Amino acid sequence: MMKQQPGKLGIREYVSITVLMVGSKASEDTPSLLSIQVQNAAWMIPILSAGLFFIPLFLLIKTISLFHEKDLFSVIEKLFGKYIGFFVCLVIFAISSFGISVDSRTYTNIIRAYYFNTTPVLVLYGLFMAVCAYGAKRGIRNVGSVSYLLIFYTLLSLFIALLLCTRESNIQAIMPIWGPGKWEVLKGSLKNLSLYADFFLLTMLVPYLRSSKEFRRGTWIAYIFTIILTSAATIVFVCMFDQSLGGIGYPFHSAIRYISLGSYIPNLEIIFFVIWIMGAFIRFTAFLYISALMFGHLFKIKDFEYLIPPLAAVYLLIGAIPETPIDVSLEWKSIVRMTAGPVFTAISLIIWLAALLKGEFKHAENKNSM
Amino acid sequence: MQKTKIVCEILLIFILVSTLTGCWDREELEDRAYVIGIGLDRSKAKGKIKVTMLLANPEVGSMQGGGGSIEKPREIISFDANDFVTAKVTANAIISRKISYDLLKIMVASEDLARQPLFYNLINDAAYDKEIRMNVFLAVSEEKASKYFLKNRPKMETRPHKYFQYMIDHGIENGLIPDSTLFRFFKTTERGTDLFLTMNTTATRKKDTKMKGEDEYYAGQVNATGEFDDTQFIGSAVFKNGVMIGKLTGQETSIANTLDDTTNISDFLADIPNPFPGKRKSFAIRVMKREHNKVKMDLKGPRPKIFITLPLEFEFKSNPSMVDFSKKKNQAIIKKEIARHFKEQFEGLLKKTQKQYRGAPYPLSFDARKYFGTIQEYERFNWNKSFLKADIYVKPDVEIVDYGSLTKKAGN
Repeated sequence: MMKQQPGKLGIREYVSITVLMVGSKASEDTPSLLSIQVQNAAWMIPILSAGLFFIPLFLLIKTISLFHEKDLFSVIEKLFGKYIGFFVCLVIFAISSFGISVDSRTYTNIIRAYYFNTTPVLVLYGLFMAVCAYGAKRGIRNVGSVSYLLIFYTLLSLFIALLLCTRESNIQAIMPIWGPGKWEVLKGSLKNLSLYADFFLLTMLVPYLRSSKEFRRGTWIAYIFTIILTSAATIVFVCMFDQSLGGIGYPFHSAIRYISLGSYIPNLEIIFFVIWIMGAFIRFTAFLYISALMFGHLFKIKDFEYLIPPLAAVYLLIGAIPETPIDVSLEWKSIVRMTAGPVFTAISLIIWLAALLKGEFKHAENKNSM
Repeated sequence: MQKTKIVCEILLIFILVSTLTGCWDREELEDRAYVIGIGLDRSKAKGKIKVTMLLANPEVGSMQGGGGSIEKPREIISFDANDFVTAKVTANAIISRKISYDLLKIMVASEDLARQPLFYNLINDAAYDKEIRMNVFLAVSEEKASKYFLKNRPKMETRPHKYFQYMIDHGIENGLIPDSTLFRFFKTTERGTDLFLTMNTTATRKKDTKMKGEDEYYAGQVNATGEFDDTQFIGSAVFKNGVMIGKLTGQETSIANTLDDTTNISDFLADIPNPFPGKRKSFAIRVMKREHNKVKMDLKGPRPKIFITLPLEFEFKSNPSMVDFSKKKNQAIIKKEIARHFKEQFEGLLKKTQKQYRGAPYPLSFDARKYFGTIQEYERFNWNKSFLKADIYVKPDVEIVDYGSLTKKAGN
């Protein structure tokens, strides 16, 4: 009874997971970190970064689709051989693990700063990870269904929140249009390629989708969706907070504490908070599942789902190292940002090059023509 | 096997349910004292401030149809403290419940304190206390804030949170006071290019004030008689870089609010001089703003030029000279008069603040930004300096939507 055939994800579940994972970046400290770098041109970064990251992602997906129903790690091992492949996979796993630890700590910081001020970080963090680990243990199929259930409400609540924010904002705040200068903005978008690094990790899920065609289509749909979402949210926050945006840790949460629905429903934030935190659970549930998948693949562990609770515990311990939220946002996160974007981009390009040099594309063409 | 599994799951649910109490952040309504207003004054002790707290009694007015308690609706305490955040703890020496700023509505600073250079630094503590929401209103009182809260005794609306909410909301709607939330205060001060208007209030009635136009009053000058509360919310205090530097009357405030596209002033009533012969000298009109201002700037020359076009709609609420507005000639006369009057008012205020307070009373600098490609260019232009030399032209775009009912002269 316990050993069910692992179900496959449909395109809508996959898109929901992806949008919740990547789109939730708009609701944490990303907009304000972008604003520290390029001030009022912060809204351009999600668009430009997406444009830059499109090339490696496109090539990666093209390469992966040569190998039928194989995930990222299998492809890497196939192309690079056993030893180099193992090393590359290990690097990806290490970076993503560090990323999860830092990100999950950021979410705990938000919860503690705005909603549970006196509860110790470790208790909140522990509970948060426990819920995510429990969810991930249920398998990706369940994560997919839950995120499909949630996606509508999450987007609706985000939309309403942003709409209410526009009443308090001034569109002229996005002027001067180029912010600190065109070159600075371009540099900033190069530095923030990690905004879309999750798409790279999501290629681990290829075998769990019904077909690789659905995977490709789903990825691009989610890609366009998240660009619009992050950029629109950043525009609203720039217009609302103007030059103070850089100093506000978590603009989404500051904003929902400020807005109100008339004078009779003044303090709305708890409604948005509940929906937001469910989205956050999905994000880390999917993240945990993917990293367990990676770990299982690396060390040839078949029942990798049993790895989820111990992995969650390890991430909890790493995430608990930084002492204050400022350390997390400014130091630890910048490490992830500086490594994840360039490394994943480079790996994608190298995979494509290796496939090209090895003649895999020609091989596939021959196969098709035969 | 099956049974143990079920038992385990039930146990798990129980454990999960116990976390729902909120762990360390469990809050009992019974156990909390909600501060509605904070007053800030200068203290005699060096390096300290005098904090006044206005606490609401949640029991009063919560029961419909009587049967409520006979307790007083509020409690007020004042004491010296280093800042208003740690003052919460000190207050617990007097108040039995745990002090909470969750429902804070208004912060009142005395004029004396607001004019101190360290005022912004002091008020900035609010940004760090997560209990304080950024939509708390900031107000400046003429007298000491501790006295203000004591003297403020609303006759009808005894629950303080409702009193302040209604008082401020309607004041902002009428345009007599600015929408001065902490959020806007911090934002404007951090931008550093414009003046900020804070609502002015007082609970002391001034003696022998002269009768003035409809709203040319400072707080406390509205000369009303009867049985009512002495508190008045009218006019505004002008802040530059977080320090108070002057005051505007109610009328000047409503002009500034009309110019400002970021406030929610919907419409207000005003008097304009009567251009027609007759004994009564003013027309009552309702002023509405159709859409946002159109601002054009010429920032190239040594003296920048600023052209502001205000799309305004008017509705007549009186007709003192019994003019027949079906005649085109009369329509033209009144239209011209309105345009002249409002042009004078708007330009007058902008020139006054430009000369006297060295800044614009609303975020005018936003409109200048679009003429620059990058932040560096904008900073080189230096709005603060350039604005002082600017020539400002205001053109009200008058549209009259309603002349009121057709009237005939009495006796005709």
